[in-house]
Amino acid sequence: MAANNMPAGIDKEQAFGMAETEMEYRVELFNRLAQTCFNKCVDKRYKESELNMGENSCIDRCVSKYWQVNGIIGQMLSAGGKPPM
Amino acid sequence: MASTNSGTESNNGHSSSSEPETPQIRPVRMPTMEEVRAQEVWDNCAVRGVVSGVMGGGFGFFMGMLLGSLENPIMQDELTTKQKFIYQAKQMGQRSWSSAKTFAVMGLIFSAVECVVEKSRAKHDMTNTVVAGCATGGAMSARGGPKAACAGCAGFAAFSVFIEKIFDRHG
Repeated sequence: MAANNMPAGIDKEQAFGMAETEMEYRVELFNRLAQTCFNKCVDKRYKESELNMGENSCIDRCVSKYWQVNGIIGQMLSAGGKPPM
Repeated sequence: MASTNSGTESNNGHSSSSEPETPQIRPVRMPTMEEVRAQEVWDNCAVRGVVSGVMGGGFGFFMGMLLGSLENPIMQDELTTKQKFIYQAKQMGQRSWSSAKTFAVMGLIFSAVECVVEKSRAKHDMTNTVVAGCATGGAMSARGGPKAACAGCAGFAAFSVFIEKIFDRHG
């Protein structure tokens, strides 16, 4: 899913199908990212409505790490045929 | 989609502007770019330290003026009223200036250390307050040797925890 190259000779329906799958993948990625980082970083006692500085920096780091992990795993899956286990 | 605040605010999907019987709930509003930039400026540790230092300086100035005006030294009667007045004003000025410096340094160190510790720990805890209080108390009492520094550290840490608990209860 990390590579966006379209091989030659692909017709419209297949392209639509791939775009739809890609869109679902992206939406799922966003939802899971938001949920993971929210659960990890935000204290559930909700003492105030604004994000304080610690939570801000936690969310920055969480999103960055999640994105990196996602990129690495995507590369591993798209490079090799089977997982190295 | 990529704003950092969307994680907390995207969960309130059903903003209740359509329910007439609960008017006190405000609809969800995404922060504008100016608000995000302003928040980023305020989250900078140097800015926070300097602003706290200035506020501490102002507070110390008025505190020094108050305490300086209360002290009433016994003076010789040969000084005229005007000279006494000038002397009193000088005393107040000296007192308020030294007090302003002390409080400014206190505010600067406390705020800067708390900001740095909270940013690096990425948590909003009481530990940040304790560490910042200890650093402030230790830095201000460092002139008296290591024992005085430890006592100052413990004392100021306890004081800042106490103040923080008071603000937490009502905030």
